[in-house]
Amino acid sequence: MSWGADDLVVRYGKTVAVDHVSVDAPAGQVTAVVGGDGAGKSTLLRCLAGAQAPLTGTVRRPAKEAVGYLPSSSGVYPDLTVTENLDFRATGYRLARSAARERAAEYLEQAGLTEASDRLAGQLSGGMRCKLGVIAAMLPKPQLLVLDEPTTGVDPVSRSGLWWLIARAAAEGCAVVLATTYLDEAERCASVLVLDEGKVLATGTSDEIIAAMPGALRSANAGGSGGSSPRASTARPEGSRAWRRGGQWRVWDPDATAGDFQPDLTDAVTVAAIAKEVRS
Amino acid sequence: MWAMIVKEFRQVRRDRRTLAMMIVLPVLLLVVLGYAASFDVKSISVAVAGPQAAAVQKLLGAPFKVTETESAQGRAWATDQLRDGQADVAVVTGGARPLVLIDGSQLFSARAALTALASHAQGTQGPAGPGGAGGAIKPQVTVLYNPDLTTSDIMIPGLCGVVLVFIGTIITSLGVVRERQSGTLEQLAVMPLKPRDVVLGKIVPYFLVATVDLVIVLAVGIAVFGVPFRGSPFTFALGALLFLFVTLGFGVLISSVSQNQGQAIQLAMMTLLPQVLLSGLIFPLSSIVAGVRWIAYLLPLTYFNEISRGVMLRAEPIGPLWQPFVFLTLLGLVVVTGATLRFRSYLAPSGRERRGPRGRSGSSADTSTQTVRAQEVGA
Amino acid sequence: MSPLARLTGVTKKFGEFTAVKDVDLNVEPGEIVGLLGANGAGKTTVIKMLLGLIGTTAGTVELFGQPPSRQTRRRLGYVPQSLGLYDDLTTMENLEFSAAAFGGKPGVKDTAIPDAIKQYGKDLIGALPLGVQRRVAFAQALEHEPDLLILDEPTSGVDPLGRARLWETIAGAAQAGAGVLVTTHYMEEASECSRLVIMAGGAVVAAGTAQEIIGTSQAVVVLAQSWADAFGRLEDAGLPVSLAGRGVRVPGARSEDVQRALGDLPAVVQDVPATLEERFFELVQGS
Repeated sequence: MSWGADDLVVRYGKTVAVDHVSVDAPAGQVTAVVGGDGAGKSTLLRCLAGAQAPLTGTVRRPAKEAVGYLPSSSGVYPDLTVTENLDFRATGYRLARSAARERAAEYLEQAGLTEASDRLAGQLSGGMRCKLGVIAAMLPKPQLLVLDEPTTGVDPVSRSGLWWLIARAAAEGCAVVLATTYLDEAERCASVLVLDEGKVLATGTSDEIIAAMPGALRSANAGGSGGSSPRASTARPEGSRAWRRGGQWRVWDPDATAGDFQPDLTDAVTVAAIAKEVRS
Repeated sequence: MWAMIVKEFRQVRRDRRTLAMMIVLPVLLLVVLGYAASFDVKSISVAVAGPQAAAVQKLLGAPFKVTETESAQGRAWATDQLRDGQADVAVVTGGARPLVLIDGSQLFSARAALTALASHAQGTQGPAGPGGAGGAIKPQVTVLYNPDLTTSDIMIPGLCGVVLVFIGTIITSLGVVRERQSGTLEQLAVMPLKPRDVVLGKIVPYFLVATVDLVIVLAVGIAVFGVPFRGSPFTFALGALLFLFVTLGFGVLISSVSQNQGQAIQLAMMTLLPQVLLSGLIFPLSSIVAGVRWIAYLLPLTYFNEISRGVMLRAEPIGPLWQPFVFLTLLGLVVVTGATLRFRSYLAPSGRERRGPRGRSGSSADTSTQTVRAQEVGA
Repeated sequence: MSPLARLTGVTKKFGEFTAVKDVDLNVEPGEIVGLLGANGAGKTTVIKMLLGLIGTTAGTVELFGQPPSRQTRRRLGYVPQSLGLYDDLTTMENLEFSAAAFGGKPGVKDTAIPDAIKQYGKDLIGALPLGVQRRVAFAQALEHEPDLLILDEPTSGVDPLGRARLWETIAGAAQAGAGVLVTTHYMEEASECSRLVIMAGGAVVAAGTAQEIIGTSQAVVVLAQSWADAFGRLEDAGLPVSLAGRGVRVPGARSEDVQRALGDLPAVVQDVPATLEERFFELVQGS
């Protein structure tokens, strides 16, 4: 049974936060939802998890007992300890006490949080709090795990720990839907949904999205940083079809067939956003 | 520095709750101090019993105001009138001397009555009319229920009410808003918890705390200050229970319209202050100008004060207290229903329009409701 | 040319706890220095000391050649992680307040407001999308033409195009001669910087360009039919594993060890240079 959503529309007042978006979340895979702030990721994920009902559209989700959710605010109680937070989650989902404790201990150990078991969640570092949030969401062994930006603002060390947990959940057969602003994370996922201002900008595996990118990319050295001469600079080439990345200018030529280098997912997504801008 | 001043003004202008507080509070205080804050009792209600009832009625002038006369009744009836709060003073005629019973639990009326009687007695030392109602009338004056006219006897029952309001409104509003602030409200919506469980789970701890506090206040009042508890504990407990429902419900209601703890406290304070000042806790109701007194009858604490003072000091049975009980019950139902409905909409969303959260530090706010068509397919 | 900012042997203790240990750091005009580190590594403390908000336990902090003071603040532009804007004021009101506070001429220079945000002049900040808020925060920091820009996580949560545009602004400021100190968690933004400084446990564990820091570190990429199986086997062998698309990466390992751990699982195993993130991980584990 594949979970997901079909043709969702969500409105906040006059703004359309989610504009006819469909997404599939197959079991055992990690599906990434990507986009900047205001793209609609959080809203989409809230609908998937059941914290919000859409205006129109269908959500395919299991019963509440089988859904694990991590909101963007980490969803843990800052004035409870790590253990108390997990206990609350276990009781709320009516899990068998000892089994839940065992599972929690294992996750905590792997995430490096065992020493912090008696620390208040509010006193954990941002990365550790996110790990706790993911563990809490995974505790009831859900069929659908919805994680809203679990890695944003988290240091790379903790991020690896988080990815271990996420991979573990998928390996156990769970369908994981993850919102992220890190495109390199999205590249690791089985499929990617790119949102922009509530609409779908691109969707598919990262290879498919890259292949679907029209035109090709050229690069022009920007100097000014990354280069050896701090004062040398090149003027911004080609108006809005150029952008900075890695100390270089990249230029998108929609009509070219061959470019200077092979684009990656970030390039493809940037191009899609520029193409949208140019169209409007 | 000028830039700082300009900035603060601009911010304050937009902060409606603080503006309301800054304008409403002085006005409220003005009203209270002008019209309500008075210990002068302008009118003392009197019930007269016995054969010379009519004659006494003609004799008693201001500040006494005879409200009931029953020539066929005697002392028992008169005492009941006081016990049930029907009158501040009762006069029983028909014996050797007229008996004046004063309700000591109405502290200021009692003092005013004593003063008035003293000057009255002096005034009637002169030429007297014929009949038993003239001449040297030396009524026997007894102060019931609070013979020493101590303030603590009437304050402690009132304090019980204040404690319940405090815990009920302020602490509950904090506890529930905290959920919203820490961003865990959404998590609760997704967990397989019934909305009713969440609301009750949130209220029960405060219920217990309030009960413990109440018992402590009573214990200290009785043991240390010697406040009597003459009436039925059951009646008192029932009254406290109903009152607690009202205040807890208000607490949850306040939390559902507040974005953060600061706002919740502001709103809670605005409901606490009028109750402390206008419910008869400090300033007697009868001394509040009629034009303003109606406000007191909208406040739950006014009714609980009647119950707590009546039961503790006068052993008032539940029958005559039907008015406060009914009012509290109705208000309780309204408030708790409203609070639960509002809370339920957070926990069992039905596709209403609402303003979304703003990034990591945002909090949601409701705008309006709309009907929706949405389907869920469960596995 | 003296550096715009210089920390020499700076240590900061809070009671028993050493937040910053003997750190050297400087920012020259026209360069972008990237400060990377885990939470608790001391980055925020370093920034606070640079801003003059807290003092040092040992070592010296120099801003434009002198200890931090109110005068040096005027030449500084700072965008904190929370953007530092008032939610209940409009864009223009925020800019006006900031311009006045930095002691410039009254009013906001028209040239200081990028066209992109002019249309939001009368909107309350709290009602604007985060992306626009960020641009306002930047405009506010740049309005008084600072010589040194300090940016704390400026692009966290921003989409790729938005990030690219913000980096354009940053690079523009650097090209105009300002020095920039940036903290970021996006490893790939490290390549936008002239130079990196990596902190862990309060000390500097690496400094230089990304290439210099990666050096000869390696990783192994594993492409298997079932990534979950590969993941499981490598994990059981005690190797550090992370996901990479439908493959798996093992930082700091050699292909022989990985092959052994995989056993008979069909997979393609390849030695590749480590990414900055993996090298960072290595350095931080070590400290």
